[in-house]
Amino acid sequence: MTVQSTEFELDLPEHEAPSPRAIVLRRARHHSGFLFGSCGLGLIILLALAAPLLAPHNPIEQNLLARLQPPVWAGTGDWNHVLGTDQLGRDYLSRLLYGAQLSLLIGISAMIISGLIGTLLGVLAGYFGGRVDLVITFIITSRLSMPIVLIALAVAAIFGSSLQLVIVILGFLLWDGFAIVARSSTLQIRDADFLLAARSLGMPAWRLILFELLPNIKDALIVVATLEMAHAILLESALSFLGLGVQPPRPSWGLMIAEGKDYLFFEPWLIMIPGAALFLLVMSINLLGDGLRDISAPEGRS
Amino acid sequence: MRSLALSLVMAIGLTGTAGHAGPDDNSLNIAWSGELATLDRYYNVLREGIIVGRLIWDALLFKNPDTLEFEPLLAESYSFVDSTTMDFELRQGVTFHNGEAFDADDVVYTLNRMADPENGVLTQRNVNWIDRAEKRGPYSVRLHMKRPTPIALEFLAGPLLIYPNEYYEEVGPDGMGQAPVGTGPYKVTAFAPGESITFERNENYFAGSPKGKPSIDVIRQRTVPDNNTQIAELLAGTVDWIWKVPADQAAALAGRPGISVVNEQTMRIGYLSFDSSNRTGNSSPVNDVRVRQAIAHAIDRQAIVTALVGGSSEVVHSACHPAQFGCEQDVATYDYDPDRARELLAEAGYPDGFTIDFHAYRNRPYAEAIMGYLDAVGIKTNLVYLKYAALRDQVYAGEIDFNFMTWGSYSFHDVSAIASHFFKATKDDYAGDEGLIADLTIGDNSVDRDERLAAYSRALKAIADNAYWVPLFSYNVNYAFSDQLEFVPNPDEVPRFYSTRWK
Amino acid sequence: MHIFILKRIGLAILVALFVSFLSFLMLRAAGDPAIAIAGEGASEADIEYIRIRFGFDRPLIVQYGEWLAGALQGNFGTSTYFSTPVHELIAERLPVTLRLGAMSLLFAILLAMPLGILAAVHPNSIIDRLALFLSVLGQALPNFWFALVLIVILAVWWPLLPPSGNSTWQHFIMPTIVLGYYATPAIMRLTRSGMLEVLGSDYIRTARAKGLHPVQVLVKHAMRNAVLPVVSHSTVQFGYMLGGSVIIESIYALHGIGQLAWESISRADLPTVQAIILILSLIYVGLNLAGDLINAWLDPRIRVT
Repeated sequence: MTVQSTEFELDLPEHEAPSPRAIVLRRARHHSGFLFGSCGLGLIILLALAAPLLAPHNPIEQNLLARLQPPVWAGTGDWNHVLGTDQLGRDYLSRLLYGAQLSLLIGISAMIISGLIGTLLGVLAGYFGGRVDLVITFIITSRLSMPIVLIALAVAAIFGSSLQLVIVILGFLLWDGFAIVARSSTLQIRDADFLLAARSLGMPAWRLILFELLPNIKDALIVVATLEMAHAILLESALSFLGLGVQPPRPSWGLMIAEGKDYLFFEPWLIMIPGAALFLLVMSINLLGDGLRDISAPEGRS
Repeated sequence: MRSLALSLVMAIGLTGTAGHAGPDDNSLNIAWSGELATLDRYYNVLREGIIVGRLIWDALLFKNPDTLEFEPLLAESYSFVDSTTMDFELRQGVTFHNGEAFDADDVVYTLNRMADPENGVLTQRNVNWIDRAEKRGPYSVRLHMKRPTPIALEFLAGPLLIYPNEYYEEVGPDGMGQAPVGTGPYKVTAFAPGESITFERNENYFAGSPKGKPSIDVIRQRTVPDNNTQIAELLAGTVDWIWKVPADQAAALAGRPGISVVNEQTMRIGYLSFDSSNRTGNSSPVNDVRVRQAIAHAIDRQAIVTALVGGSSEVVHSACHPAQFGCEQDVATYDYDPDRARELLAEAGYPDGFTIDFHAYRNRPYAEAIMGYLDAVGIKTNLVYLKYAALRDQVYAGEIDFNFMTWGSYSFHDVSAIASHFFKATKDDYAGDEGLIADLTIGDNSVDRDERLAAYSRALKAIADNAYWVPLFSYNVNYAFSDQLEFVPNPDEVPRFYSTRWK
Repeated sequence: MHIFILKRIGLAILVALFVSFLSFLMLRAAGDPAIAIAGEGASEADIEYIRIRFGFDRPLIVQYGEWLAGALQGNFGTSTYFSTPVHELIAERLPVTLRLGAMSLLFAILLAMPLGILAAVHPNSIIDRLALFLSVLGQALPNFWFALVLIVILAVWWPLLPPSGNSTWQHFIMPTIVLGYYATPAIMRLTRSGMLEVLGSDYIRTARAKGLHPVQVLVKHAMRNAVLPVVSHSTVQFGYMLGGSVIIESIYALHGIGQLAWESISRADLPTVQAIILILSLIYVGLNLAGDLINAWLDPRIRVT
């Protein structure tokens, strides 16, 4: 059974002729998607880091007497709660700012865990081939054939959910993208001259992989990383929808959307505001990933 | 795109009233989230199963929802021979939906069959007090009990529906569960397990039934799991009746033209339970009575009821529903007083508070509000939100220090259905209080009304003094339906569609 | 070729077994099924009675062995909740999910392929930008959000479609749009990049140089090659859709296999959950196998690797 890298189109850089830095920078400056994506993501990261400075209120301080206040632009809203308050009377703007922290944390942590697992398996399979490849391909196929959402739900239902569990679940679920790309990228270059040369010099396999092979497939992996990060953030909101995401009171954007869904009909801002924020974040990451791929491609797409 | 969607969503607050088709052909479309696997009342445990059961079948007795008195239904009269024996004279001329005549054989067969543990009725407590039923004439039955059962009438008017003996013998629970046959006001014409049920009015429903003559021709039930989808169905006019609408949505729906919202209380109460006796062996802060009292003082239960629970719910102070027999109200109360809570925590050796796992399985907003109040006095909580089965499993295994759960007492109007369940050395008992166990035992076994009251009073006072529980509030249910519909809810959480009609 | 097929099938069976074993281990810790069957608020005695009656008190490995032996004969046991054989339950619910999956895939392909081709033929044009925008949009909206908003618009605000249910084809329109939309970006990108690659290749240049009509070049030469990866991706995507339709089925009250699985998890109805996971993974493995075979048939070079 072959596992194909259908989900990611790849343009591996040719190692013999690495693009000069200047060309890459020039491409980056002219790639509007890349610019938009990196600005969006940068802005959100900045807001998340500055949340303690910017947030007008404590994000978990509730006031049941002041619940469900509309944002400032709607009827009875006021500047004390610019984006209104949620069902427990917590300031929505503050929750949004702190929520960015958790959403980014989830996306980045899940990306790192899945990146480590997937890259390790993929590189080993691609580099050693043979039985190792067979076993790892088997593992990848098994993972792919497990209904991802169902398993996540079952695990969260069993253990009760928590931030750590959500990250671990997502990390263990999303590694297949890395594995597939790492494997096929490694396969493409494992017989390249520079690797053969290094091998003939008696360089141990682990050094060879770490210092020669990985740097040459890193561009492809970075593209996967951005896509999986976006994927993880979206999946977290789906888990939250089914009641199994991050646990309150600390907010994530996914949790805020899930908690706001009951108010879709009558207090729509509760779901629209974190929805818009999540949309911006995921779109920025995706645009950044697309941009990176285009920029690092040997022949510029633009 | 987004702003368009936003404005569209905003706009539905002002527009969109779809016509309700129901009254035109005298049919009723209802939606709920429960998935009924079988309609056989003895083999399902959902509340929706009780609703359906009362449409399809009749019991020997009927509990009048207004007077709470027991009236004859399939029985014409009943009498106690002694404390463990009852006689019933049955109604004559009643037929089942399939034409089978109703007589003593049906009653004797049903009661004896269900009481036999071999037959695997899921809720054994409904039947395990029955020794045997005996036919004394074509329309006369004697019931022997294993022990004096003060709440026997509740069972005989509730879950013990009478089945046709010949049909049931032939098809068994599986056949009955898919194609039920009863004497009740409605018969089932179509059933897709877990998805939908269609009922048609039983034109031959016997006159003089306390349930009255059914009015609506056809009732179509659909299972719609998502709350918001249910509301959308109601707003679109494709469904005429929904229930268990969250308080905020109910309030908003109430303001919409064409929709009525009614709130009704239930027997269910919410409570916080603690590992008072260190049953887990974790040496948790809540082992200390002062910490438990501090938690009770820290939470503004009235604010939670007013803001979140809404409807006819009330704060409760005693470990039972105020409507239950023996529910002593004169117990120690803990007012909302965060300063007192901090003092008590300091006395207990936690001036800076502590961190604890907090388990819950439903009403996440309530749990969050409680966590918010605890946070304000320095108690940090990690919410562990589990499926009911998983949480109860851990509670039984003695692994839970602190949880927020609820109990509906099977809608029984008696303290034995709640206090004795939790504090009488049961698997749910985390107090392990010998005096309490003794008092509850007296209350449960005595037939003397005053002795029972006194015993339960002592027990409930002990629970409150030691803060083994922090009782929170009673629950309520919001019903939302077409304002053309004449529907009256009852506190027992069993909507009666046989007495529902279009205006 | 026969050996190739046999090897693939053997591997497929191994994968399915492995997945079933893993899921069994994970699910069996899901809380006591006896408590779930007895219902909320049951007494201890009732729960103990049910535990013994259903055999949940026996060792785990015995229960798994029994289940596997049955499953191998096509008998997945009895749903602890529905008390009907699991295979009947699945036979009833699976068609809804398959129908939803097929319609969604069709929707995605019909939307994505023309967009992808147009985007490749006119790179950097308005169409290319629009296609990119649509695909980015599809990757960035939580699907439950999209599903609920669609109900508000198409069922409540303009009552054009029934809000939920599965009795007519109209009931499938909204869920198809939502589920299908999330498959659109990947298919569109594949089509676009496949077409770009083919259009830049020598033989297309040759065909053009020979003076063939551009449309003819596009349809006869370019598209055939660009379609291959889309076909193999679509088989995989279909498997994903079946497993990922839980939320959509629950919002639209579709009563398919995804919702059955989710409800069964809540009810600790393990035989049902296990059977569904096994069947979904079998479908996935089967589709993957089919994709492999189609590719091998179209492109004999693959068989060698």
